[in-house]
Amino acid sequence: MSDDGRPRTGDRRQGGWTGLGVAGGLALACALLPLAGTRDLITAVFFTFLFLVLALNFDILGGFMGYMNLGQGAYFGLAAYLAALLLNSGRLNRLGAADRPAAVAVAVAITTAVAFGFAYPLFRLSGAYFAMATFGVVLLIRHLILNFPDVTGGSYGVYVNPRHYLGLYPAYYLGLGLLCASAALTLAIARSKIGLAFNAVRESEPTAAAIGIDLFRAKRLALVLGAAPSALAGAIFALQAGYIDVDAALGVDKTLLPVIMALLGGSGLVAGPLLGGAIMRAIDILLKNYLRLAFPALVIYGAILMGIGLLMPQGILNFFGDRRRT
Amino acid sequence: MQTALDLALGGISLGGIYALTAFALSMALATTHVLNVAHGNFIVFGAALATFLLNVLKLGGTATAAAVVVCFAAAGLLFERAFVRPLLGKTPGQILIGSILITFGFAVASEALLGYTWARRVDPQPSFSLTFPLARLTVGGAVLSGTRLFVLLATTALIAALHLFLTRTALGKAIRAMAQNYEAAVILGMNPRRISATVYLIGITATAAAGVLLALASPLDPYEGTRLTLVALTVIIIGGVGSLPGALIGGAVLGVAEVLTSFYAGGVWGPVVYLVVFFAVLLVRPQGLMGGRAG
Repeated sequence: MSDDGRPRTGDRRQGGWTGLGVAGGLALACALLPLAGTRDLITAVFFTFLFLVLALNFDILGGFMGYMNLGQGAYFGLAAYLAALLLNSGRLNRLGAADRPAAVAVAVAITTAVAFGFAYPLFRLSGAYFAMATFGVVLLIRHLILNFPDVTGGSYGVYVNPRHYLGLYPAYYLGLGLLCASAALTLAIARSKIGLAFNAVRESEPTAAAIGIDLFRAKRLALVLGAAPSALAGAIFALQAGYIDVDAALGVDKTLLPVIMALLGGSGLVAGPLLGGAIMRAIDILLKNYLRLAFPALVIYGAILMGIGLLMPQGILNFFGDRRRT
Repeated sequence: MQTALDLALGGISLGGIYALTAFALSMALATTHVLNVAHGNFIVFGAALATFLLNVLKLGGTATAAAVVVCFAAAGLLFERAFVRPLLGKTPGQILIGSILITFGFAVASEALLGYTWARRVDPQPSFSLTFPLARLTVGGAVLSGTRLFVLLATTALIAALHLFLTRTALGKAIRAMAQNYEAAVILGMNPRRISATVYLIGITATAAAGVLLALASPLDPYEGTRLTLVALTVIIIGGVGSLPGALIGGAVLGVAEVLTSFYAGGVWGPVVYLVVFFAVLLVRPQGLMGGRAG
């Protein structure tokens, strides 16, 4: 184990047959859910997929490399806005039926390019400074959207033209597919040389540099790999919801929940963000739909974050993994 | 001429406030290596408490100032005891994860609670601002706002007091020693817990006082805490960790830039300027200013 209790390198343990079997079973259950579930439940599960994608993406940089990205929601929100605004602008109309996928593709491409660009200032920093700077990315995008109301609708938000709506069922399966793809991406990284390089950077940057890893390129790669699926999730969200504003697309929860999910479940493990995400979404659905809270849900999220930091900073899976081994 | 004078006075007094909070943050950062993400929230809390005492309970100025100092000295001690001390002396990786989880969680939970409670009990549109009727000064044909001058003088006095404390007293010197080299300071017999408690007591009281001064200059809303932490970090990145002259220069640059931008480009652009400066400085200074692990 590393000094902060996360699994060390080259996790061949990850993605064993049992794990894959459980994952496959869960995916199948999710795929069959629309046959039986109510519309509310399906919507809630659809949002769960998107949040799990964000949590898995956060953990590429956060878990494998030890760089806490508090701005994972920035890519989600930026792509959501780009997709909605591109479709509304009518510039893609001559593509006919292909306008929706084209808009999503362009939104994801631009967002990924933005992440690539932000790698240059962000990775001048490390540790806690890096984490705060990534939150600055969210604030910057939020301010820019609010300050150009002629283009973005400002604080009123954007209504997607109803022609471009994505139905709940197609969106649900797109979300499920994206989640499976993100999990596969994380697993592939965990089992590859790239993952080893990321882990080496986490354990000691001087050592990693000495054995020939280009630190900046590795970090930039991790940032970009984590940005693209989140951007796609944001674009799908915008087209399914039909209306977005800065709070829906770039709210604090989009930044906070992925971090809580990954760290609660166990950072640096493929299953960690998934487990933490499932727990957090269950709490979230319970809070919003069943318990009538006398105060905002963010108070509870903040308290959970503090509780993890004080009691279980290595997350559930690593916590029990350590106990079993010792 | 009058406009230029107003802008300069506004920018420099805002810069002084930023310098004060940034220096308080960097003092805590350098000694304990814990980044307090909730630092900016204490600016907002200071402003909120002063607004509540002065405008809602109608206490006088002196009573309000005394109450703010006492409350935030206690809050600083409690905050250190509950959230910072468990992390002291751990490995950099543990401090990094622990400090972000705990203080970011605290920031989010406390600002949501403040905004919600204020909106329900006091004012549905929470805004913390103080007015303090002070006469205008006329110097050679130019009119100077009394409030702005008061803010500038108070900030200068607080920064000077902090500087004297750190350079002239034994405890202040111990804090600087620990900021330079944690292990050596512990070997020489300094008590890291006592120093960490002192740093948070002073830092959070000074930050709350800065919040009161900021509320005199412009209204604050409950959700600006994280933005203000980032402002303080930007000042630190311009000026360097633990450097008072650096904090003053960084604060003045940001304060003047924000005031000028608000004046020429409109008020909505003022709060964005620090982010542009932040990323620009990171790009231009190739080494980044603090590449070290976990600060």
